[in-house]
Amino acid sequence: MSIWIGAMQKHLEGHKGLTDHNEIVRVDAGKFVYIPLMSMFSTNIEVLVKEGDSVKVGTMIAKRNDHMTVPFFSSVSGKVVGKQTIMHAVLKPLEHLVIENDGLYEKEQPFSPIDFEKATREELVDFMMNAGIVGCGGAGFPTYMKYKNPQNISTLIINAVECEPYITADYREISNNIDDLVLGVKAMLKLSTAKEAWIAIKSPKKELIAKVRAALVGVSGIVVKEVPDVYPMGWERTLVYQLLKKRYDRLPSEIGCIVNNATTAIAFAKAIRTGMPIVEKTLTISGNGIKNPANVNVPVGVKTAEIVAKLGGYAIEDVLLIAGGPMMGKTIPNDQFVVTPYGNAVTILKTEKIDSVACLRCGRCNDTCPAGLLPVRINNAEQAADLDTIVKLRADQCIECGLCTYVCPSKLDVAEGVRRAKRILQLKKK
Amino acid sequence: MKFTFRVSPNYRDQLSTGRIMRDLTIGLGVIYAFALAYYFTQYSSNYGIHALGLMATSLIVAFLTEVAFAYFTKKKVKTHLLGSYPWVTAIILTLMVPIATSYFALGFGTFFAIFFGKLVFGGFGQNIFNPAAAGRAAMLASFAGVAVTDITTSATPTASIAQLGWMIDKPEAVTKFLDQFGGLQNMFLGLYPGALGETSKVLILVVMVFLIIRKVIDWRIPVFYLSTVFVLASLIAVSKGMGFWYPLFHLSTGGLVFGAVFMATDPVTNPTSASGRTLFAIGLGILTVLIRVKANLPEGVLYSILLMNMLTPSIELLTDGWQIKNVKKYAISFASLSLIGILLVFGVSTTMSYKAPVVPEEPTITLGDPVGIFSDETALAPATVTDKVTEGDIVTLTVSSKGYAVLQDDHSEDPQPNVLIVKIDTVKQEVVSVAYATFSDTTNIGDKTKNAKFLDQFAGLSIVDEAAEVDVVSGATYTSVSVARAVRAAIEAVLAQ
Repeated sequence: MSIWIGAMQKHLEGHKGLTDHNEIVRVDAGKFVYIPLMSMFSTNIEVLVKEGDSVKVGTMIAKRNDHMTVPFFSSVSGKVVGKQTIMHAVLKPLEHLVIENDGLYEKEQPFSPIDFEKATREELVDFMMNAGIVGCGGAGFPTYMKYKNPQNISTLIINAVECEPYITADYREISNNIDDLVLGVKAMLKLSTAKEAWIAIKSPKKELIAKVRAALVGVSGIVVKEVPDVYPMGWERTLVYQLLKKRYDRLPSEIGCIVNNATTAIAFAKAIRTGMPIVEKTLTISGNGIKNPANVNVPVGVKTAEIVAKLGGYAIEDVLLIAGGPMMGKTIPNDQFVVTPYGNAVTILKTEKIDSVACLRCGRCNDTCPAGLLPVRINNAEQAADLDTIVKLRADQCIECGLCTYVCPSKLDVAEGVRRAKRILQLKKK
Repeated sequence: MKFTFRVSPNYRDQLSTGRIMRDLTIGLGVIYAFALAYYFTQYSSNYGIHALGLMATSLIVAFLTEVAFAYFTKKKVKTHLLGSYPWVTAIILTLMVPIATSYFALGFGTFFAIFFGKLVFGGFGQNIFNPAAAGRAAMLASFAGVAVTDITTSATPTASIAQLGWMIDKPEAVTKFLDQFGGLQNMFLGLYPGALGETSKVLILVVMVFLIIRKVIDWRIPVFYLSTVFVLASLIAVSKGMGFWYPLFHLSTGGLVFGAVFMATDPVTNPTSASGRTLFAIGLGILTVLIRVKANLPEGVLYSILLMNMLTPSIELLTDGWQIKNVKKYAISFASLSLIGILLVFGVSTTMSYKAPVVPEEPTITLGDPVGIFSDETALAPATVTDKVTEGDIVTLTVSSKGYAVLQDDHSEDPQPNVLIVKIDTVKQEVVSVAYATFSDTTNIGDKTKNAKFLDQFAGLSIVDEAAEVDVVSGATYTSVSVARAVRAAIEAVLAQ
């Protein structure tokens, strides 16, 4: 909030009551699971198994091995069937490795558990890499990259904000795995070389805050920080600014921070304890387009259609099926996309008619943009195909949080205009 | 199943442009209701009805203009109207005009506002000037001299202080000046005639708070605009040795508060960045004060809004970029503009001086030849006594006496005699006073006889002196004689008792 820029954030109605208390439904895999062969938009992935190979839960089946290492694991036991191209949650058809499920869920530890207190920092980074721990906030960035070479890091920020509406999966996951959270954060604190770890939780989540604080009694160097219930508080830059009142250019490490998601810490703790990677996820399936909104526990690679069927189906004929929350998630035109290690929600909303009118130039988008951009100006420049102005307006800095469209009283697709401008910049670079 | 594809996000705020306009309409409605109540109760139902008629005229013209535009540009009328909000412009424009405005003038202004102010630019969202301000400016340019004189068009506070050079440095004159309008307190309450909706500052500020809370308007514009005017007016007050009343007077007079809340905040004609709106508001404040104290126009609000509207694109170019990297630039722009404003206003204040009010002089008349009360001239077309009231020694007679209009045919359709009130003391046997009840002769000629210099001659005339005479007003002989005739008829009626 400033006189010059505006709020740069906004409280959103969360609809979290739909799923924050009811039972977590276990959804088993059907006949096949589909493991997406994609990491951070790279499809340069080496498949380690052949058609007909037997695999178990935890068998490493593929690996990205360029400037980042990301292993992929089977989430069921059974037989490798082959590859198939299906729609992915990023709204692109991608190759998936298909595994026929034998329903037995036989396990295989792809790596051994580790005593993080005894292990050296380097050993722990390698462990994290081999365990395939990726950012569970949605992007799937390999977590070990952040810890490879930490310099002058003073604070580790654990993001338990979960600011997208409807999603409660992280909240449920944290409440049910407090000990793993503490273990994971301790291990990450060691990796980061920081003095303190701050666990950021939205202030209205009083119960969770109390629970985490209770678990931290006697633990030094880890504290809970309450943050306001606004969107996008879960975005790294907004969160860092909220906690440190500092901004950075590219990475939070510039100002001595590493930011990681709380569920990533939990996944890390599980790997440390059990020697098992991320093979299943807690997902929030919510919205007014589904009969019974709930959190589900489901193996990676299960199609959305199977989860929805297990929950009793869609509430209406015409829905917006969104991979993720309604702000940043993309609508997918079919329900064949699968659960990924980095996804945490599917939001299903009634398709409602939107009546848009002319832009009244109110500037709400400019005042609310968390990146400090001027979305309406970018839209104007994009419409005028004014490349110089698009460059000046720094359209490249947009994170597509969607807040500009959300606040637009004229119901225009402001974010889409900025996206187009971004694409123009990307094309120009190439 | 149908899986609809839409670009993200798929979550939207409840707040819509329609709701913004509805809240704005409610806010304006409250101001209008106050104006109606004021004219119905403080004046007469005729005034109240005229206020209703003005609003109806403006709304009808606004809608007709929009419908015609939609028809000729082959747009769906309903969709066009719902996305064009003509009523907001019509209401704002109506609230800016004084009650004495003719329907024709307002209709013209409304047409200008909607058509030239908005539609020719491509409709709602495309116009560069605030449509209502453009319409009002067109009215002022076209109908400035046509203002009809009536009780409510006594000089407004703004016009009055403009005549004094926008300053009063004598404390005793200040109180006398402010008392004309019931003091500053009354000016804030708005219980004086002015533009329909601009008078009650208190009510407008209450509506402003409502609109800010409902996120209809950005607080930056009214707050920075009014603060700038307050600070700059205080500067003039200090430099000229005037008191705290002076900045308060600036806030309470004219269309400042109304303009700051309802016109300067028009998002279409504002910069879209928060920093830009701040600069825009400060610019408005500086221009308003400069125009008020130094330009020939009595009021600066309207023109400062139109001028700043023109600067909106330049301000946007200035504030363009990555906002979080531009904060320093914004702060420097803010400081520079404030400094320019302070220096300009301080410089201008050194050239200001108090212009003592001009006391209107009695029009001079020249008395000409004498006419005898009982002469032959007064015997022609004798006057008629229509009423006679006796109270003690004093008899008051109402006398109808034919003057120039009846006797000489002044081309008026229905010439009427003049009616005079003549008082006679029956004991002293002399005329006490003569006054007009109704004057029906030629304006600017015969009415010279209303002058005390002429009428006072009758006081003390003996009713029994056959040679009594008065001097006629040069150039108004007929009317003068008609007065003498009335006095003769009155004396004869008393003597006949």
